[in-house]
Amino acid sequence: MTDNKMIICRCEEVTYGELVETAEKFGCTPRELKLRTRAGMGYCGGRTCRSAVDSIALAATERDISEITLKYQPPIRPVSFGKLGDVTK
Amino acid sequence: MGKVIIIGAGPAGLSAAITIAEKGLDVLVIDEYMVGGGRLLGQLYEEPNGNWWNGIKESKSLVERAKNAGVEIQLHTPVSNIERIDDEWVIYTESEVHYTSHLLLATGAAETPLPIPGWTLPGVMSVGAAQVMTNVQRVKPGNRGVIVGVNVLSSAIAMELKIANIDVACITLPKMNIPTEKSADPMEVMNSLLHVSHMAPSAFVKLGSKLMTNDFMKRMGITFFPKNGVKMWDIPIMLRKAVVEIYGDGKVEGVKIATISPSGEVVAGTEENISADFVCIAGGLYPLAELAAVAGCPFYHIEELGGYVPLHNEQMQTPVEGLYVAGNITGIEGAKVAISQGVTAGLAIANDVLGGGLESNIQQAIADIETTRDNAYIQFHPEVKEGKRKLQQYWEEHQNKSVAITL
Repeated sequence: MTDNKMIICRCEEVTYGELVETAEKFGCTPRELKLRTRAGMGYCGGRTCRSAVDSIALAATERDISEITLKYQPPIRPVSFGKLGDVTK
Repeated sequence: MGKVIIIGAGPAGLSAAITIAEKGLDVLVIDEYMVGGGRLLGQLYEEPNGNWWNGIKESKSLVERAKNAGVEIQLHTPVSNIERIDDEWVIYTESEVHYTSHLLLATGAAETPLPIPGWTLPGVMSVGAAQVMTNVQRVKPGNRGVIVGVNVLSSAIAMELKIANIDVACITLPKMNIPTEKSADPMEVMNSLLHVSHMAPSAFVKLGSKLMTNDFMKRMGITFFPKNGVKMWDIPIMLRKAVVEIYGDGKVEGVKIATISPSGEVVAGTEENISADFVCIAGGLYPLAELAAVAGCPFYHIEELGGYVPLHNEQMQTPVEGLYVAGNITGIEGAKVAISQGVTAGLAIANDVLGGGLESNIQQAIADIETTRDNAYIQFHPEVKEGKRKLQQYWEEHQNKSVAITL
């Protein structure tokens, strides 16, 4: 198996090759790379691929040291819709 | 008066809870795991004085002390969000909503994965997961494993696996790609290992590391590093080999390793297969700061502390009202530093709730963090003090800016 075919974001099935190609083509920040490829936008909230997506984008762009590169959004842990909407059975 | 809420029942959270409860205040500790102790649970190592640091024992004693002091501990409870509404922090768990004026985040650290081809196969796990399975759940992650990533954490856990009678075929580097770059560079890895060489069990390694004082010697060291590795606890540590692929049909059956050049490039034609039924990925730790981020706390990226850390002062207070931090969320360090940070945060919170009187205790606690840090047996980053200095500087800049805005 080559690096290019390797899955980086498991939830959205985004490969290393796709991420590197997109980052090179657009010179994107981590956030833009996420939005262009959907890497890190799956149900795990990017908990597995966050650092990899970050580093691929930061290979070509400068890191903003005063802001987290890939934003965290609540809920930061999976919550069922019923519980979230306060729906009781 | 409401209760103080602490998120995270690890060494930092529990020691803060004990400190606060001993001042007569109500405390609730929330943790997503089913056992208290946090990552302390997995730790097992021999200290230079011959005593064994047994994390499970330490965890039990912290939980016991907290309960005796009247702390309420709610386990198996993930917090999904926090927000500040009016003058209070609102903490959302799946089943309940809690309110507090003083919130301490002691959420610890998370592991950085190293993507290598085949890393999505069942049987591949983070080295921390293998540690928890072995030491906490008492389940063997497999019969024979390969650890990818050479660092303090992975070598400590390799030894723990060995004690549990699990065969570790080798500890080696990952193949180089963008995310693995630093962990895959033999020179960089050797540099990071030199400052922990006092932990090496073999006099040979200790002596060798004393000779590695300049770049020339380091280059020689890595160039002539034995291809089959240097053995530690009978496990070969290989700095001139890398895992290029994890293979298997539906699950891990082994890894393909290859010889690499001193700068990390694979030497063609050197590939060989090593059979294994599990693979541990050890990419290091970074502060787990999700909740501080959703709370709107400012962050700074400080390499020496392991990544983005929430801005805070010596008293573990963030610029966000009523929000405190302690433990690995403030930078990657050992459990003992986390405990002393927890005490400091606990005192700072109690002092604020009680309207003063604990100032000298706080100063003492801050000094204790320094002493603990200086005496730490394991240092995850050699320049951690430099990292703390940078953070202090960012704090001062931030304070000056806020004063300017208020004026």
